[in-house]
Amino acid sequence: MEKSPIANETIIRDLLPQKFGMRGKLWTALLICICLVGAYAYFLQLKDGLAVTHMRDYVSWGIYISNFVFFVAISLVGSLITAVLRLANVHWSTPLTRIAEMIAVGAIMFAALIIIVDMGRPERLYFLFLHGRVQSPIMWDVIVITTYFFISLLLLYYPLLPDLKIMLEHREQTDRKLNRLYSMLGSFWKGSSKQSRLSRRAIRILCITIIPVAFSIHTVTSWLFATTYRPGWDSTNFGAYFISGAFLVGAGSVLVAMYVFRRNYRLEKYITLRHFDNMGKIVVLLGLIYLYFNINEYLVPAFKMKRSEDALLTSLFAGDFAPYFWFAILAGMIVPILILVTRKGRRPMPSFIAGCLVVVGAWFKRYVIVTPTLLHPFLPMYNVPASFRHYFPSWQEWAIAMGSLAGALLIITLLSRIFPIIPIEETIKENNETHR
Amino acid sequence: MKRIDKCCHYGLLLLLLISGSTAPAQDSLKGDLNMTVGYVLENNQVPYVLAHVQTKVNRRFRPVTGIPIKLYLNSDSAANLVGQLLTDDQGKAASTIPGALAATWGKTDKHRFVAVFTGDEKFNPARAEATVSRAKIQIDTLPDKKIAVQIFEKKDSSWVPAKGVDVSISVKRFGANLNVNETATFSTDSTGTVTADFKRNNIPGDKNGNITIVARVDDNDQYGTLVLEKALPWGAPFVYKDDFQKRSLYATRNKAPIWLLFMSYFMAISVWGVLLWLIRNLFRIRKLGLTAQD
Repeated sequence: MEKSPIANETIIRDLLPQKFGMRGKLWTALLICICLVGAYAYFLQLKDGLAVTHMRDYVSWGIYISNFVFFVAISLVGSLITAVLRLANVHWSTPLTRIAEMIAVGAIMFAALIIIVDMGRPERLYFLFLHGRVQSPIMWDVIVITTYFFISLLLLYYPLLPDLKIMLEHREQTDRKLNRLYSMLGSFWKGSSKQSRLSRRAIRILCITIIPVAFSIHTVTSWLFATTYRPGWDSTNFGAYFISGAFLVGAGSVLVAMYVFRRNYRLEKYITLRHFDNMGKIVVLLGLIYLYFNINEYLVPAFKMKRSEDALLTSLFAGDFAPYFWFAILAGMIVPILILVTRKGRRPMPSFIAGCLVVVGAWFKRYVIVTPTLLHPFLPMYNVPASFRHYFPSWQEWAIAMGSLAGALLIITLLSRIFPIIPIEETIKENNETHR
Repeated sequence: MKRIDKCCHYGLLLLLLISGSTAPAQDSLKGDLNMTVGYVLENNQVPYVLAHVQTKVNRRFRPVTGIPIKLYLNSDSAANLVGQLLTDDQGKAASTIPGALAATWGKTDKHRFVAVFTGDEKFNPARAEATVSRAKIQIDTLPDKKIAVQIFEKKDSSWVPAKGVDVSISVKRFGANLNVNETATFSTDSTGTVTADFKRNNIPGDKNGNITIVARVDDNDQYGTLVLEKALPWGAPFVYKDDFQKRSLYATRNKAPIWLLFMSYFMAISVWGVLLWLIRNLFRIRKLGLTAQD
């Protein structure tokens, strides 16, 4: 009991937002540079139109939509770590909840932005609200993404209130400019029993609400494809297939973030080997589920090899898209499962590598879902220019896509600089309970 | 000097050889045209002459556009010129027989049509001829939905039945014509008549159930092409069903299905209701904090 106050002060000191070191500054500068190049490429796209991309009549959804699906997928991590584990009373995940929510907010923001980038006339975005049809899955996607964004923000903000109080109480240890922000956001939090009760109830309601909304967001995104009659997308399985993939990439991204934050902010006491072990097991489980859906999604059509799907499946298995396809399957699922299935593989470094493979593999998986189908329509291509038959993104598309990825990472980086990466109050509480 | 003369002599000989050998070489570079000419009579009205020009490209016949063709009646003299035309994008050129040739046309029952192309820098000259007897076609209906088609040929200024002519009887549809029964073509008997049972009951017609029956003699060696159409009330009346104003998933935004509107509004209001409550809750927490401060 005597140890508790000292331990609490240590926890607070360890978990208060820390200033960037040289590596942090370089990392932030690099991300800003990539964002600026992306912004310049987008300026060119606005000036000259979508003609600067290599999207043509057939491939009208290229790297932008692949990126969009990737962002939507990764944003689901918020509901997995924060909501599902919290509702299941899994306490070991407490240090990971804020990381998950930061990733979710960063990803969902750029999911919304990249859709606007894909529009030829972004200034007509408001047409969607003036003339949008409730019958269209695109409209559902807009509604669900907006809703999910707000829920994610609230889920980040509510648990942050007690931490804001702690930061204001230790204002000498935090940045002076940031103190003003903390004061604006949480000076009213006194930690009274009534406030705590209201906050606890709100968090519980948010955790319950976010699960169906998170399922909806990715199901609706999958329906953008599945409601379109094309080879490879004409599946009743797409909703579940997309959700399982989203949970996998979300969990993989948490593994990566855990390693990076733990190392750079020296959080070894808080993000322990146990966390890597447990998260590794979750990734294995999610990887196996996603692999199962993939086998269903490809083996069943390949067994029948309908004429309309033959060209698409052949190009995926042994044609132009085979390197991407097999990379996504092997690097995105099989290798991470093989790494993380062993106890040694669930140590921080192998877990980090497995997490990186899951995330990179997931990006390629989205590319493989979107592009090859568009190049293999039901009606054969006749008398079309050669550029219609192939697709490889232009430098502007790469720059914008990479800029958006850098943008999401920048949001996560800035959020981790401004707010505690690990919930301070909850950690203290759990620590005290453990000592008691 | 003698040597120079000899050189000039050989040079001239070589020049002649070259010029002589290039002329047929240029001819052989030109393409050959496959030209046909035919006679068409539609609905027993003004007949026309139809020329069709093709050329072989990669072992396949392709139509040739913009070929100037002269069409003649009986002989290729200027007095018998039917028309001078350019082929269209299907390689076809058609002309009705002008009034100036009415006397020539009425004089005999059998006519020769001549199509002439004099050649250009791309194609060698071409010529086609066809001789046809004047004929006409007639459609009648018989009890029990039977169709009788008769072909008559003009002989010695009178119409006589044409025997052994192949005729197709079909119903006009949007894409291609549909046979009235399982038989594709019929051959006329000694009375120049064919009879076909109409077996396409319930085929959609116009709003009154009218369908168009087509009798056709196609590119006959003796009579050319004869076509006759006749409207008959033997089809099923077609009632156009306008689904445009109905509520459906594919309709405009104002015509969204009620169940979809209910579900989407219910879900949106439920979730956003909760979110608004949570925002209000934040204000309550804030108010509690500020009150405690005071």
